[in-house]
Amino acid sequence: MPTLEMTLNGKPVSVEIEPGDLLADVLRDKLGFIGTKIACGEGECGACNVLVDGVRVTSCIYPAMKVHGRKVLTIEGLSEGRELHPIQAAFAAHAAAQCGYCTPGFIMAAKALLDKNPNPTREEIKQAISGNLCRCTGYYQIVDAIEDAAERMRGEG
Amino acid sequence: MRHKIVGEGVQRLDIYQKVQGTRKYPQDFNMEGQLYAKVVWSAYPHAIVKKVDIAAAEAMPGVVKVLTYKDVPVNEYGINIADQHVLAPEGGEVRWVGDRVAIVVAETRAQAERAAGLVQVKYEPLPVVTDPRQAMQPSAPLVHEDRESNILHHIPIRRGDVEQGFARADVIVESYYTTHYVEHAYMQPDAALGYIDDQGRVTVISSCQWPHDDLHQIAHMLDLPEDSLREIVPSVGGAFGGREDMYIQHLAALCVFVLRRPVKIIFDREEVTQRTGKRHPFYMRHRTGATRDGRLVAAEVELISDAGAYASTSIPVLNNAATFAVGPYKVPNARIDAYTVYTNNAVTMAMRGFGATQPPMGYESQMDKLAEALGMDPVELRMKNLLEPGDIAVTGNVMTEETGVKETLRRAALAAGWRQEGERWIKPDIGASSAPDKRRGIGVAVAYKNVGYSLGFDDKSSAHVTLTLAESGEMARALVKIASIEVGQGVLTALAQIAADTLGVDLSKVRMAYLDTANVPDAGSSSASRHVFISGNAVHRACLAAKEKWEAVLRAETGETHIEAEYTFRGRSVRATTPFAAETGQCEPHISYSYATQIALVEVDTETGETDILHFWTAADAGKVVNPVTYFGQQAGGVHMGVGYALTEHYIQQDGRPRTRRFSEYHIPTVLDMPREFESIAVESAPDPNGPFGATGLGETPTLPTAPAITNAIHDAVGVWIDDLPATSERVWRALQGHTAEE
Amino acid sequence: MWQKYLFPATVQEALEMLTAHPGESQIIAGGTDLVLQSKRGQCPATVIVDITRIPGLDFIVERDGFIVIGCQATHAQVARSPLIRKKAEVLASACGSVGGPATRNVGTLVGNVVNALPAADGAVALFALDAEVEVADADGRRWMPIAELYVGVGECVLDPCAQMVTAIRFRPLEPDQASAYQRLANRKALALPTLAVGVVVGVKDGACDGVRISVGPVAPTPFRARQAEAALIGQPPTAETIARAAELAEQAAQPRDSLLRGSRDYRQAMVGVLVRRALTEAAAKAEGR
Repeated sequence: MPTLEMTLNGKPVSVEIEPGDLLADVLRDKLGFIGTKIACGEGECGACNVLVDGVRVTSCIYPAMKVHGRKVLTIEGLSEGRELHPIQAAFAAHAAAQCGYCTPGFIMAAKALLDKNPNPTREEIKQAISGNLCRCTGYYQIVDAIEDAAERMRGEG
Repeated sequence: MRHKIVGEGVQRLDIYQKVQGTRKYPQDFNMEGQLYAKVVWSAYPHAIVKKVDIAAAEAMPGVVKVLTYKDVPVNEYGINIADQHVLAPEGGEVRWVGDRVAIVVAETRAQAERAAGLVQVKYEPLPVVTDPRQAMQPSAPLVHEDRESNILHHIPIRRGDVEQGFARADVIVESYYTTHYVEHAYMQPDAALGYIDDQGRVTVISSCQWPHDDLHQIAHMLDLPEDSLREIVPSVGGAFGGREDMYIQHLAALCVFVLRRPVKIIFDREEVTQRTGKRHPFYMRHRTGATRDGRLVAAEVELISDAGAYASTSIPVLNNAATFAVGPYKVPNARIDAYTVYTNNAVTMAMRGFGATQPPMGYESQMDKLAEALGMDPVELRMKNLLEPGDIAVTGNVMTEETGVKETLRRAALAAGWRQEGERWIKPDIGASSAPDKRRGIGVAVAYKNVGYSLGFDDKSSAHVTLTLAESGEMARALVKIASIEVGQGVLTALAQIAADTLGVDLSKVRMAYLDTANVPDAGSSSASRHVFISGNAVHRACLAAKEKWEAVLRAETGETHIEAEYTFRGRSVRATTPFAAETGQCEPHISYSYATQIALVEVDTETGETDILHFWTAADAGKVVNPVTYFGQQAGGVHMGVGYALTEHYIQQDGRPRTRRFSEYHIPTVLDMPREFESIAVESAPDPNGPFGATGLGETPTLPTAPAITNAIHDAVGVWIDDLPATSERVWRALQGHTAEE
Repeated sequence: MWQKYLFPATVQEALEMLTAHPGESQIIAGGTDLVLQSKRGQCPATVIVDITRIPGLDFIVERDGFIVIGCQATHAQVARSPLIRKKAEVLASACGSVGGPATRNVGTLVGNVVNALPAADGAVALFALDAEVEVADADGRRWMPIAELYVGVGECVLDPCAQMVTAIRFRPLEPDQASAYQRLANRKALALPTLAVGVVVGVKDGACDGVRISVGPVAPTPFRARQAEAALIGQPPTAETIARAAELAEQAAQPRDSLLRGSRDYRQAMVGVLVRRALTEAAAKAEGR
């Protein structure tokens, strides 16, 4: 059993895994980070989005071995204790979550976008979340939330 | 009653947990020593199970037990009719690929999966029947051999004299419409964790829509009293009707009952897609007649729905469809025959609309065809015929003061640019297309839904309120216990708002209890758009009772700091509904209604048949908007499901076998597929005095008019009628080929 | 699922790891296809050789008259590369259409090509670019026309336990050439193409002098409409000549009825429509309009 070593939400983590383990399963089942959700199991809905060295991936089909020596950020790494990240605050303010199952994946997609593009147009926001599926909201409030989050992160909100 | 919190866009009570990812769904729970279960599903859509051989599977490393029918005390269950086996017995039949034959329980998931592949089942395949119209014929193979026919139910509705009505008609339109299989596609796959709790109860943590009914069915299966069972619903990742039937809770309960150890079971997405229930396809024959001045005089409708392998809620769905068959219109003469028929296709069940989603394709397409035949504007024609207070519906009941459907049409049409001049309505100029091979069109559709259960069902909900008082006598906290499942629709927040306003306190003082059947009374199902109305009334009246007691305590200065009150609200206390009369279907069908009008501005690519939605308006009447922010979310989410229903979603089976196998093959709309501009209009012109603060319900209504609004817009754009859903680019292209061939 | 997961530091080491485990080894790049195939029991490999940490294989460069793309380059990198957008636009468009943003971040262009499915957007564009792939094995490295990679649907000619593709190359578009990509799918993201067309058109002195038309999935591999191409050579790119070429492409395509993708006659008719639109777009760009 290989030992996977990574930086997870800013902290070094060491865990024994099988060579074929997928990142979402390791996070959820071996490390107890259940914020990353599995919805489709084929990398086709974005619910399992996490950031690996700042790059958004679908962790349900991402081999855990690939993050050896890398930095991984999950939804749990965004808030500081009870303090929400601006993206999370914006999602809350805009009711951009209904059943909430897809929400961590959208928030991580927004984080990946805003870290690279702090001033996206609405069209750019839509392109960035085009790989995230939601069955409850119809997406409009999510786009509004990400636009608002961008403002907050630029210090304008 | 004065309200200041009802009507406000307060933040959802559960949103902080959801944005932090700390909200737990059943698959997020784990217990030490838990085992993992994997279902062995039927390999045939119809067969006799000759032998179930579990020896090889049980010998696999890590396997603790392989459960078969022999382990089930009472091997039957079902939401209305207990016509399903829990596990198919040797000598018994499997009737669709979602039937279960065994459950493998092992120390790890991987071990359970591996061993499941080694359970050997011998089948004797039986003939498969997949078209309900053929299945209705006397010569068709029977899906249930103990029945005389595959027709599960038939509802006739008769009003007036259709022959005389048609004789008076100046135009008659006749068409055949079909709707297709779609699925709920909720994002959270079904999952359950079962265990024996500290009080020895078989406990299941799972997502569902009606936990108390689950317990009722599980009690029957295990031959145990209901109070020795417990269901905990932590959070539900979407339902849309798809969790109304039990798919996993009873399996977890069975495993725990037999093994006395915690057992976790998760369906992977392929299992959710291929082995759980779908929306009923409907085959609808319509004949509608109107006079030259645009009055409907007669309607004849035949509806056939595919019930799939087991009854589920096919009869109540058919009931609804029959009552809605001709639409929210004054139709003095009508003949409606509705049938639901068994096949070996997927079990069909509740899905947003519950029999009110398919009929609008029929009745709203008919209205547009009539408008064209009469040379009349489609809004104008509808205005002349929509039901108003005092009108008599096709089931003979008198429409009440809360019949606000006309206002939804008026508001939507005006927002979309229609002009009203007296009785005349004039369509707007919709602008030029963006390219020479594209055409623009605008279409309107109206639909309606019952709120609460119908036709004499005793719809009720119980709420329990506990007030904790401070020394000063002020209320420190109100705890509301009610088992209304939060599936994402915002019901917990809405009920908290109702409680806060009834008690006259800040929202921050209201807590909604965690959903545990051990503590929380039965609220009925999260379906039928009923919770704001039925459970809202229960909460409202329980709070009123608690408030009275509180005031009495203060007056008497007893120093009590703990006050409790409970109220069970029954829908029949405000309106008694009655079942269909035998030959005529006349009745008082529903407790309350919700209405919506939607308008779609589309652009059709005349060469590929693709439809783009440029602008979309939705005006829905929910009596009183409890929370405008969640109201918008329901409108947008409902339209999302409607757009998918109209254009991109299709669950395909062939000879009873799924061809749509996984999420990547089932296309719910992405953000890029939604209307580019979207307007939600809240109509509150007709509050229901029986609803808490006038509110009725909204969960389903925004999904109902979407498809015909889009197909009517396609017709406006390119002159072809799409009578079969989904209106894929190929279907539109094919209709255009036929169209130009005729010219 | 897998027994060993290895990180070679060089191509040489990767090949040695493959050949050390005959019959059970496989290269992984992004893994977006391989992981699913393994989960579904469609891939027998138990020794996985991850090439993504070999330095210097993620290049997208122009050299010696070719654009060369390394085997680590993801769809996202290709789609946003200024070089590709300028001199091989059809490939940027194609790569930007694959799956969703996360898939494009991880899945590589070479990985998609080696998977050998006719609905691969990247492959459709590469066929229009007359691309070659560089195959590395114990005998060294050599270039091979992309079409030779394909044996059948999902079947690549390479031995997964002995060979790997290290790069792709093609001639960049000349100033008088332009390209276009047209795609039909059931929804606007997260969908395989029902039909995809990639074209390259060169216009010199008012006449077409280099036309390549690639279509998928209408055959086991991406398909070049050679008759249609020939019909345009020497012709001015007018509505009529383009329509004629589109018709030839439509007739040459032989799609089957597909429950999920659509019927034969629709798909065939759409070949004509998309080829016409792509040619019109590319010709206009080539003529500087």
